[in-house]
Amino acid sequence: MEQFESLLTCCVCLDRYRNPKLLPCQHSFCMEPCMDGLVDYVRRQVKCPECRAEHRIPYQGVQGFPTNVTLQRFLELHAQIAGELPDPTAGQVMERCNVCSEKAYCVPCAHCDKKVCEDCKSAHMEVLRREIARINNQIRRGVNRIQDILAVVERNTSNLQTNCAAVAGEVDEIHKRLAKALKDRTDFLRNEVDRYLATELRNLTHLKDNLELELSNIQSNCDLADKYINDDVEWEDTELVDTKEIFLKTVEFLRNFDYEAGDYNRRIRFIMTHDPNQLVMHVATYGELNITHPGAYSAGLQQSQGLTRSKSDHRLATQFRQQEESKGYTENDEPILGGRKFGERRPPPPEKHTRDYGATDDYSGYESEHRPSRRFRSRFVRSHQTDNDSDTETTTRTVKAEQKEKEKEKVADTEDATRGPLSGIFRLSDCPRVMQRILDVESGKKKEKKEPPPPPKPVQPTPQPRSRPPPPARQQSEDDEITRLKRQNKGAASSQEPDRAPQRPAEEERSSINRKPPTPAREASSDGESDESVGSLQRNQRKNTTPAVKPTVTRRPSAPDTSSVHRQAVRAPSTESSASTESSGSAVKHTGNERPTPVTTNGTAGGAQRVQSRFVGSQRPTPTPAPAEPAQEDSDSSSEEETDSSEESEEEPAQQRKPESQAMARSDIGPLLARSTNARNDAHDNKNKDTSTQSRYRTRQSSQTEEEPAPRYGASGSSYSRYGSKPKDDEMTSSLDDDSKYPTARSRYLALKERRNRLARSKSSHTGFGGGDDDDQDDPVSPTTASPSAYLAARYGSGTGGSELSRSRSSHALKSRESSPERPVTGEKDGAALSSWARYLKNKYGSRGKDRDSGGTSSSTSRRLSLGLPLRSANELASSDDDSKNAAGSPISPTAATAAVAGFAAAGSSPRSQYLQKRRLQFSVGSRGSEPGCFTWPRGIAVGPDNIMVVADSSNHRVQVFDSNGIFVKEFGQYGSGEGEFDCLAGVAVNRIGQYIIADRYNHRIQVFDPAGRFLRSFGSQGTGDGKFNYPWGITTDALGFIYVCDKENHRVQVFQSDGTFVGKFGSFGSKLGQLEHPHYIAVSSTNRVLVSDSNNHRIQVFDVNGRVVSSFGEEGSEDGQFKFPRGVAVDDQGYIVVADSGNNRIQIFHPDGTFLRAFGSWGSGDGEFKGLEGIAVMSGGNIIVCDRENHRVQVF
Amino acid sequence: MAALPRRIIKETQRLMQEPVPGISAVPSENNARYFHVIVTGPEDSPFEGGLFKLELFLPEDYPMSAPKVRFITKIYHPNIDRLGRICLDILKDKWSPALQIRTVLLSIQALLSAPNPDDPLANDVAELWKVNESEAIRNAKEWTRRYAMDN
Repeated sequence: MEQFESLLTCCVCLDRYRNPKLLPCQHSFCMEPCMDGLVDYVRRQVKCPECRAEHRIPYQGVQGFPTNVTLQRFLELHAQIAGELPDPTAGQVMERCNVCSEKAYCVPCAHCDKKVCEDCKSAHMEVLRREIARINNQIRRGVNRIQDILAVVERNTSNLQTNCAAVAGEVDEIHKRLAKALKDRTDFLRNEVDRYLATELRNLTHLKDNLELELSNIQSNCDLADKYINDDVEWEDTELVDTKEIFLKTVEFLRNFDYEAGDYNRRIRFIMTHDPNQLVMHVATYGELNITHPGAYSAGLQQSQGLTRSKSDHRLATQFRQQEESKGYTENDEPILGGRKFGERRPPPPEKHTRDYGATDDYSGYESEHRPSRRFRSRFVRSHQTDNDSDTETTTRTVKAEQKEKEKEKVADTEDATRGPLSGIFRLSDCPRVMQRILDVESGKKKEKKEPPPPPKPVQPTPQPRSRPPPPARQQSEDDEITRLKRQNKGAASSQEPDRAPQRPAEEERSSINRKPPTPAREASSDGESDESVGSLQRNQRKNTTPAVKPTVTRRPSAPDTSSVHRQAVRAPSTESSASTESSGSAVKHTGNERPTPVTTNGTAGGAQRVQSRFVGSQRPTPTPAPAEPAQEDSDSSSEEETDSSEESEEEPAQQRKPESQAMARSDIGPLLARSTNARNDAHDNKNKDTSTQSRYRTRQSSQTEEEPAPRYGASGSSYSRYGSKPKDDEMTSSLDDDSKYPTARSRYLALKERRNRLARSKSSHTGFGGGDDDDQDDPVSPTTASPSAYLAARYGSGTGGSELSRSRSSHALKSRESSPERPVTGEKDGAALSSWARYLKNKYGSRGKDRDSGGTSSSTSRRLSLGLPLRSANELASSDDDSKNAAGSPISPTAATAAVAGFAAAGSSPRSQYLQKRRLQFSVGSRGSEPGCFTWPRGIAVGPDNIMVVADSSNHRVQVFDSNGIFVKEFGQYGSGEGEFDCLAGVAVNRIGQYIIADRYNHRIQVFDPAGRFLRSFGSQGTGDGKFNYPWGITTDALGFIYVCDKENHRVQVFQSDGTFVGKFGSFGSKLGQLEHPHYIAVSSTNRVLVSDSNNHRIQVFDVNGRVVSSFGEEGSEDGQFKFPRGVAVDDQGYIVVADSGNNRIQIFHPDGTFLRAFGSWGSGDGEFKGLEGIAVMSGGNIIVCDRENHRVQVF
Repeated sequence: MAALPRRIIKETQRLMQEPVPGISAVPSENNARYFHVIVTGPEDSPFEGGLFKLELFLPEDYPMSAPKVRFITKIYHPNIDRLGRICLDILKDKWSPALQIRTVLLSIQALLSAPNPDDPLANDVAELWKVNESEAIRNAKEWTRRYAMDN
């Protein structure tokens, strides 16, 4: 047998013959690669390896040699006898591997989407495994974030509950109070009325009685007089006189008695002190719930400016794709794995869009796995996708294949069972392929354990009892699993018979344990048949399960239909407008999804209740018979329903959870920030609007518009906005006009500007407010945060003598600060008094600031935190804000107060006040020249360890290093394109370990030098691809050593690992948010905010490390906070931002949130004057160093 | 680095599973194309009892070109020079892809039993072998004892 074996073995490849070719010397060799490799192409000969006979090659090449048919028969025979699988490569032809370009039997590789040889494929798989391991590590490291969030969510749940309970309590309390007041008043009024009625009644009855008496008296008198006052009766005179008197009196009485017949209909009137309508309205709307809705908690999935993909391990961070960039790809909306089942081959690219992403993206399998899908759409997309799939299937495959496909789909639906509702990531262990693999592995182990493996039995011997009890659901599931595995076995390789044979009995065994008797057909039949029977069995089970599913469908009557329709409707516009901001998308989604709720809900229950009830409803569903462990199939379908419904209902939780996500933002979760800040603005809007509680959507809308830059200033005041926009227009027209017209327009503009200035100054508080509003971040609810700028505007804008004084004095203090922080200022105040002042201020307002923070009313703390600022500085800031504000309004004379404040601030090392005093040049370094210590157009600058200054001496093509006092230390580099040579270098950076990273501008590369200035490596070349540059300019590194490069002419920022491995990129040409035009310089804050001077857009954009826009500030102009071609940007450890406003020849300092703090400098060549600013940097002591390009010097402030 | 061709894997496996008597070839740990070879001196030859270390390297286009083999142990042999290079036709022009590592090593072992001084590489040795075979054999034995034993 062994010899037989060896006869069937090609002696060149030592493998079984494949397509044996017979040489004239009667020796046979495989055609490829053996015979192929033997060919002597020069002599067109082949030399037999066995006998060394040389043969001419036929015209068609080695193919022309006759095939050794006999040998082939033997091969077949041998294969039959030995029962080995036929050569999988039998019918194939060798191709060049697309990776190693060796000739081999190539198979498509999902990793690189090419046809590659086995070796390369396995190598790729190895790569994938390693990558998975690495990513897994990252995930493991990152998963605590989810845990943290989970904890936060839990905490928030309770917080929310307590919050709601508290609010409900308040409402109850108010209600009680209102009711009591109302009742009291009502009772009081009632009593009054009653009392009044009683007295009046009494009076009236009294009067009535009297009158009656009078009447009777008079009448009797009259009667008497008629009767008796005549001659019949003797009356004495006196009597008559008296009678007459009485009668006269009576006449008089009658004549005079006049009853004041008032209108008793309106004797008492009820007058409301307030207009009843208004009062009712007031009461009816006596309170509003100010619900802050930060973005839905799904904000974590926000797809916005993300780093684009890379092949390196930054992937966890790059999950989020740049939305705008991927606008063209439908893959953006693609669900996980692009709608494929796990492990399925990607479908051949039949449709255009699939080709799109297939071509652009080698890693799409991966990417999509990590890229969370839009969960609101995913299901729709998925069905859409699979539709596509099955379409192509039907066209390409036979009916049988189609059926199989369907079956597979059903089975693979398991994956949906645990699909994460947020990310769309499902549990791998739930997908059948993975189960299969794991089972294979385990059964393999089992096999190894059972040393003598059960001999392969082609026919199952023992017939099982036929009686079949109605299988409980649990068994069904296992059965299903088995059938599935079976089918997959078959699908995977119908040829794996020998392998499978031993495995099958085990499965049989298990199935018999499960009391599922195999059908007789199966016992007797071959594998194919048994599989069929299994299939039918499974179909039966499916039938069993379907009734279980149905009720769930019917129970939720109109909801799924309407919502799906909605989803479709929603999806269409939002995909089209994917360029628009996320919030607009969500707004659309909102309206779209909110609408069906009245249909689905009954009653007038509140939002939260509604949600809950729906949740409960959807969890209640499936009346499955499954008690403990639900049947796989059942849970399939039912949980699909579940996810379906929960997906719907999650729209509303999203709303409800908004406040939570605000709190989540507190823990500095990057992606949530933007949203939550937006939402806070929403909340603020809500408050302002004071409309009905249903104003949610409207405010969303309005916040959206507010985000647009144009109408921003509208918030600060109408006249202001008019002036704000008008000059711009003027300037535009003027610049369009020819030169002759220009001056007039210009002057008009100037005049307007002047007026505007005055206006701005006069309502400076307003401006501050507006400014706060603009940044989408400042919370205008707390005026104190906005007011400092107002204060500043008032103070420094007018430039009073007092401030001048304080400034000069405080700069003294500043200078001495390093030596003794508590050192008092010189001046009319002595040290003791001052420090007491400081203490007083601190005690009073520091604590007040704290109170306010803890009070939680629009706490600036949370805001700061949400901005990614350390809490410490927030407090500090808040208190210092308070300090300064109070100082301005304090009873003590303003000069003294400011002086005190300045002194205090300097002593208390508040960076803000420190920056406020920046103005005077400390020293400058260099002049024009090429000697050491001289510059020719210095550009980039950076601060290294020990505050060394590193200057890119651009046109001297060298880097110069100075110590913190400006004393020349060393230089390195010269002109050229070799290693360690530069061509007009621009940016410099020093990383944590002191390496110099240089943007070698005209060589379009980055060079890295060790701390001694020795060349280490370089990377990049000219181009537009990943890792290529077009005039790289500014450069910086973050705490982790990642290198950020402003790729100026490519209008983007690229990120690299410290070894130069491309990590990602963000930004594209344009002026929208997140787009860049000639980004020049870049800085990363200690809170991992990436600041880019978007020079030609005249703004600073703030990104997070993943490349998502956080904010942007500045616009073209020369006002405070405006820029003209800003270049250098730097950020200190407190987050204060320093910008070299090149076109305005000044340095501007901003608060960490981007609000203006201070500006100084002007055009010129004197001290503190600039001509063309370039790079800027901040030393750890707070000194600002800036490259003054045309003056060929570095100035230090 | 391209992956290892199947043939090399097969040959290596077979060398491990069915070693040739008197020959051991173990691939290097960090380069599967590089083999540490030990050949015992054939019986009834001056090299009997010696263990000769060789190195064998399979070039990129193996088996279309011959492996590179070299003695590391010093040996007194007319067809093996001081550097250990071997004068053997199948390692040169007579190479055939049908040959394998084992056949090559067997051939080398055979070469030890049957020196061919007419096709010399080490001229002085070949000269002595032709002129005074017994002394040459004595030398060979001496070298074997000195270099190829007790190591």
